Amino acid sequence: MAFYSHFLRNMEQIFFPDRDQHAIPSMDGALSPNGKLDAFTVLLPDLTDVDDVAVAPDGLYVSAGRQVVHRFGPGLGQSRTLASFDAAAGALALHPDGRLLVCVAGKGLAAIGTDGGQRWLTEAEGQPLACLTGVAAAPDGTIVLTDGSSRHRAADWCRDLMEKNAAGRLIVADAGLATARVVRGGLAYPHGCAFSADGRQLWFTESWMHRVSRCASGAGGLAAPEVLIPNLPGYPARLTPAAAGGFWLPLFALRTHLVELVLRDDDFRRDMMLSIAPELWIAPQYASGKSYLEPLQGGGMRKLGILKPWAPPRSYGFVGRIGDDGRFLDSVQSRAGGDHHGIVRAIEPPQGLVVVSKAMGQLLQAPAETRQ
Amino acid sequence: MSVAASPPPRSSVRDAVNDLRYRFSIKLFLSELLSKNWMEPIVPFLLMVALIGYFSATVPNYTSLDNTQQLLRLFAEIGLVSVAMGFVLISGGIDLSVGAIFAVTNLAALILFKSWEWPVWAVALGTLAVGAFIGLINGVLVGYLKARPFLTTLVTLIILRAGFDMVSEKYAPRFAVSDIESDVWDFLGGGTILGIPTNALALLVVLIIGHVYLSRSRYGWHIMAVGSSRKAARHAGIRVERVLLGTYVLSGLLCALAGLFYAARQNSAGSDTGQGWEMQALTAVVLGGISLAGGRGTVWRAAMGAVIVFLLINGFVRLGLEGYLTMAALGAILLVAVGFDVKWAKNRGKAIQKIYVNPTRLELKQAPSIARGSASPYAENDRLSQAEVIGLGQVEGPEDVILDRQDRLYTGTREGWILRFSGPNFEHREVFARMGGRPLGLAFDKDENLVCCNGGMGVYGVTPQGEIFKITDETNRTWGKLNDDSRLRLADDLDIAPDGKIYFSEATIRYEMHSWDMDGIEGRGNGRMICYDPATRTTRTIIKNQRFPNGVCVAHDGQSVLYVSTWLCRILRYWIAGPKKGQLETVVEQLPGYPDNLNRASDGGYWLALAGIRSPAYDLAMRKPDFRLRMVKEIPRDEWLYPGLNNGCVVKLDADCQPVETYWDPTGKLHPTITSMREHKGYLYIGGLENNRIGRIKLPGADPDWTGWESYWGNKQNSRVRPTSGSGISAVS
Repeated sequence: MAFYSHFLRNMEQIFFPDRDQHAIPSMDGALSPNGKLDAFTVLLPDLTDVDDVAVAPDGLYVSAGRQVVHRFGPGLGQSRTLASFDAAAGALALHPDGRLLVCVAGKGLAAIGTDGGQRWLTEAEGQPLACLTGVAAAPDGTIVLTDGSSRHRAADWCRDLMEKNAAGRLIVADAGLATARVVRGGLAYPHGCAFSADGRQLWFTESWMHRVSRCASGAGGLAAPEVLIPNLPGYPARLTPAAAGGFWLPLFALRTHLVELVLRDDDFRRDMMLSIAPELWIAPQYASGKSYLEPLQGGGMRKLGILKPWAPPRSYGFVGRIGDDGRFLDSVQSRAGGDHHGIVRAIEPPQGLVVVSKAMGQLLQAPAETRQ
Repeated sequence: MSVAASPPPRSSVRDAVNDLRYRFSIKLFLSELLSKNWMEPIVPFLLMVALIGYFSATVPNYTSLDNTQQLLRLFAEIGLVSVAMGFVLISGGIDLSVGAIFAVTNLAALILFKSWEWPVWAVALGTLAVGAFIGLINGVLVGYLKARPFLTTLVTLIILRAGFDMVSEKYAPRFAVSDIESDVWDFLGGGTILGIPTNALALLVVLIIGHVYLSRSRYGWHIMAVGSSRKAARHAGIRVERVLLGTYVLSGLLCALAGLFYAARQNSAGSDTGQGWEMQALTAVVLGGISLAGGRGTVWRAAMGAVIVFLLINGFVRLGLEGYLTMAALGAILLVAVGFDVKWAKNRGKAIQKIYVNPTRLELKQAPSIARGSASPYAENDRLSQAEVIGLGQVEGPEDVILDRQDRLYTGTREGWILRFSGPNFEHREVFARMGGRPLGLAFDKDENLVCCNGGMGVYGVTPQGEIFKITDETNRTWGKLNDDSRLRLADDLDIAPDGKIYFSEATIRYEMHSWDMDGIEGRGNGRMICYDPATRTTRTIIKNQRFPNGVCVAHDGQSVLYVSTWLCRILRYWIAGPKKGQLETVVEQLPGYPDNLNRASDGGYWLALAGIRSPAYDLAMRKPDFRLRMVKEIPRDEWLYPGLNNGCVVKLDADCQPVETYWDPTGKLHPTITSMREHKGYLYIGGLENNRIGRIKLPGADPDWTGWESYWGNKQNSRVRPTSGSGISAVS
């Protein structure tokens, strides 16, 4: 089999030399590895299990565990629980009319009014919204949702990747959450969306295809998407508009050659999924180094007391800023051996960059000297 | 921590078939075959066999005695000339004058015999002298005057041809009328010995002597060396000029021998004698697989090529092809052969590399529990996290550690040194011996020499004064194995039996120290257990086909040798004395990790280092040879899946090798890849293959006077404990 697939690949490269190889691109230029993310400090250490954060008019909204918390006041010291659910609260977005949009695992979308009242959207075109990964609201009030997969919940994203699913959807709902329609299906784990500053473009990411697309948004709804970044070195997560233009784009893990190989080797992958616990798969993770039963790669061997920072990363911390043309301008990273991994969101409240680290389950903020 | 164990073993027929399928690998055989030098001319050899077969089948009476004799008689002279050309080509030159020398010496023999009427022995000597003289001229021009061999011998060819034409015109009529007769002369020309024509027998003798000369003698090696790289040969102290001179003289001599036989056979000198033979000979040797670039070839290849060319010409003649067409066909064959020669020389290594790694299927049973707090003797704990630190940053890769009777600590490092730490807190570091290679397992013999297994070198000793001496670097070659496996490539760990015999493991014979990971990925039984007997100074392989045999320890009672198989996660016992002598048995079948060194403990038990803990993903990969092959072929080495060597532990075994307790550093920050530990006076010293420190922990309750040396050779031998009967779980053989 190995020989056969090898042969097929060679033939493809001979006959279709221009076809996208989708090889892992090297990280250079603005993507050059650095340790800047390691210097970030924990913000609001009392919050655990954080999944997303959004800028509130007077502070931050944070989804932590099954709650959405509003933090405000000096030093964000004051806290108010906005809502509690019986499932994990996920992606957040602030609606132009002041409501907070919350994705709830396995349930759907909840819109929480300023008075605390909740309004729910639980299905689109008859399909439940069980794996919402991101939400964004247009200036005109239209709400756009990304549903990662119709097969698994968001917590099971790793299984969705290993099954090589492309069962995600892009959904548009009206401001009142009365109707929702699927504008795009068959997406490979859409993982967050955001409107450009002028509100005329919707950007969204597809994790398993390692790409960022955008589509024009106007009175006629969403136009056909255009792939802007076709091949990222990692798995993109939730986009957020940056203050200086462009977007913050976190990659929650980096692609490695070994994982790509496992994704090509169906026999091995199937047996791995059948016989091994998911946290020990050869797969990207939010965090690593928790157990010595995790698969070890050659470069990850500890030598002379040192874990090489260039070791193939099972988990990684990465937030990049991309311009309106999709080019990377800058990045902060936490390399192999670091803790600030699994970044799924980066926002820019007045006090500086704040990111959500799934590895820590906490908010991290940029060190004081780099804040503008 | 959630421990996801590998699934329980499935013992289905399919698995058994897969086991078989991957155990024997045709690619493995091919890669070993291709790396043999004698495989280089496989294509011309098959061509030769095919030609002989074809003509035998199509030409009536082709293989009859008469015809064979006839063919051999015709062939012998061109064969000799081809060998002459072969020698020169191997030395990196070319001799285009072989045909001319052949013609001239043929003429000289006839003149000496027929005209000057010399006796046959004098004719023979004279003819050879003429050939040698012409070769000498070529040799002086090429060797000492640094003339280009191609042009020089081309000029010699033209001059000799002109001279031949002039002289033969004058003498030819006289030969026809000469009535000189000699039985010896006729015997040279037409006689047979045991049915073989004289000249063919002479060729055979030349081939045998030439083979021994070229492959077994100093002069032959010099020719090869000069041909491979003239500059390197000069730097190695070879007198290049003299060697070159010698090859041209040799070439002249062989041509003269051919000329002599030809003269005796034909008794005439036609103007076309030897015409175009330089091209035939050149085609023959290149076709036979002698490199035009020099340094590569044997006399057999020259002869084989000559056979092919001879049969082809013979066949063309029988087919009724015109002479010029024959030459054109030969030219075309030469072209193809040269092209093949270049491509083959360039790509053979690559072809071997492509098929060298051959993963096999290895299914491990479910590992025993290591869960923290469980009743398992392997249960994880933090007992190593308080280890004292010795030589932090002063030592790179202390694979094995050992202490002498003066409480000094020795370790082998990746620089190829043996370091010695002394002083009350081991603060004094010195390089005890600069050995080279990669020093691995250590042991003290009775005379307190430090005996060391050295990856890449063999087994070496260091006297207490620091002098290094070799103990052994090779073992007996395995019969029937293509590759010469007598050299020790990765001697790993050793121990010394009471009778002084050194038992040591060689982890793998297919890889080197720097590519041990490839052996893991292959997972084959590439290693072996070897015994060195100081009484007879012989080294013998005692157990073959072991999967990375690693730590070795002679049991306390001196009756058996314990050793571990790293990839099988297993401890085995080989009996060297007593009723079970010669038997091999498995003592511990499943360890939770990859065992490394094994040493004696003061209480009659043993210490075992687990270099790493088995990870479910790697266990699965070991059951998937195709996946591992893809991995090594498709992704870079730093990305390969490795056995989980970042964490390990030290296991205390009882006298029957059953686990009692463990010492862990689960973070892997202090002691990753634990490869050794040594008990000494109540402390345990810990080394690691890739570490930058040596650790030490106090062993409460351990005998504070016990040392390894005393246990083997001194007053602690009475701590020997006999293993209780039935200690082996299962007998292997």
